[in-house]
Amino acid sequence: MPEFTVIVGPQHPALKEPESFTFWVDGEDVVRTQVRIGYAHKGVEKAAESRTYIQNIPFIERICGICNVAHTICYTQNVEYLYGRQIPRRAEFIRTIIEELNRIHSHLLWIGIAGHEIGFDTLLMYVWRDREVVMDLIEAMTGNRVSTALMTIGGVTRDVTPELATKIRKGLDILEERTKYYEKIVASESTMLARTRGVGVLTREEAIKHCAVGPTLRASGIKFDVRAEDPYAAHDEVPFEVITADTCDLFGRVVVRVYETIESIRQVRYCLDHLSSGPIRIRLPNTPPRGESVSRVEAPRGEDIHYVRSDGTDRPSRYKVRAPTLGNLAALVEMLTSKGDYNVHVADIPIVLAGIDPCMCCMDRTARFIEPSKDREWVWTWNQLKKYAKEK
Amino acid sequence: MSLEREERLASEIKDLLGSRAVEIKIQRIRSIFVTVKKEDYKESIRKVVDRFAITHLSTITGADSGQTIDVMPHFSYAGTKITFKSSVPKTAAEIDTLTDIIPGAVMYEREIHDLLGVGFKGHPTPERFILPDDWPSDVYPLRKEYKVVRPEPIPKT
Repeated sequence: MPEFTVIVGPQHPALKEPESFTFWVDGEDVVRTQVRIGYAHKGVEKAAESRTYIQNIPFIERICGICNVAHTICYTQNVEYLYGRQIPRRAEFIRTIIEELNRIHSHLLWIGIAGHEIGFDTLLMYVWRDREVVMDLIEAMTGNRVSTALMTIGGVTRDVTPELATKIRKGLDILEERTKYYEKIVASESTMLARTRGVGVLTREEAIKHCAVGPTLRASGIKFDVRAEDPYAAHDEVPFEVITADTCDLFGRVVVRVYETIESIRQVRYCLDHLSSGPIRIRLPNTPPRGESVSRVEAPRGEDIHYVRSDGTDRPSRYKVRAPTLGNLAALVEMLTSKGDYNVHVADIPIVLAGIDPCMCCMDRTARFIEPSKDREWVWTWNQLKKYAKEK
Repeated sequence: MSLEREERLASEIKDLLGSRAVEIKIQRIRSIFVTVKKEDYKESIRKVVDRFAITHLSTITGADSGQTIDVMPHFSYAGTKITFKSSVPKTAAEIDTLTDIIPGAVMYEREIHDLLGVGFKGHPTPERFILPDDWPSDVYPLRKEYKVVRPEPIPKT
């Protein structure tokens, strides 16, 4: 049977993430997948070389809206490593609080999106309503819902007052109750089970082979979390459990994220209870000593790694960022390839793509038609395809 | 902070690589830099990866150091970041691929090839990855000689 090539991308209105996929399909099954990125390449690494270390903080924050906290923690601690200085313990705890609140917001956002992709929009409405609770907490803590601007080199810019701590605790109680409810829903709701079990399979061996990261890796049964392996901020003290699932499919990825949300709520509570007194930042000179450093954090989507090289001036000589999605791309291609008994259906493409947590789905599609017998190839727009369908 | 664990790991790597390891530096807790020559790059990495059963490659960084480009794969071993460092001259920027040791290196090598112009010998899909298709083939934006030209401001009428 001749194979069809379906091009998905580069525009993805769902989460504004341009990436282009080419799928070779045989009937309903995806035989092979190719990915092409770079449509949103902003030249951050080059631009970071022309800004000072301080100017880079808001700049690095804008790499990603949703995991802005992960990127800024990774950046500021990387520069602190260059100085070889330890920041105050209170600042480390505040970093952990905002990081975990950010993770709760990101995971809840994803659960909503997953609900939407499988046609379960009620879940989207419910989860996003409850997500407002954590957005309000982030706003109360930093003055902004998404971009937090809380990190600075040597500590944090805003303190957590006792009134704020009480407010956060109240919000966490609501979030915990609601997340436990979703925990029940995802484990028992028939739409959820039908659309996620056995879909987007990434075996343990493949996950290791392609160096997957984050919930994608943990859902394939591998206990790898930077917070536990290479603790930063206050993670060396805050207890938490690395959540894994052994189903190796989308269902596992949903379950991992739901349980991680609950773990994050517990971690924020622990931080609030054990917040030590003291200063929230130390002053550091504008120019770090010569040297190079690598730092890692666990972003909501997985391991985020930054590299910095200082040549003794007030600007980095090289700044490198590897966001978690790039780490999961090779694994994603594997998930979207049918092999043996495992078939990927065209209808599952959106949820499998969303499964690693960049969400890009049903959008501008063009189909390339190939007639091998006549050695002919052509492309139709959506309207031409509709017209053809009507005429037939 | 005690660096005992890192020192033990560094000496194990030194014993394993012998004269191949030009320099082993403990940067801080849970971070080690191992400098090797370009010719020994792949063999040394293979030895370390096999010996410590390393499976996770975090990323590969490429950095312009004037006349040379540093290629730095960052491995993760039990929480410790082991960074290898190897320089290739800009005039003959080519190094062996790691994709047959760690298949996860595919995307990272393509990225460096695009942005810094380092060729990876034996890479399965050395295609364009990040830059647009019509980008000139000998211009590498992350090299220091590439200067960002600001577009002319639109004159006020």
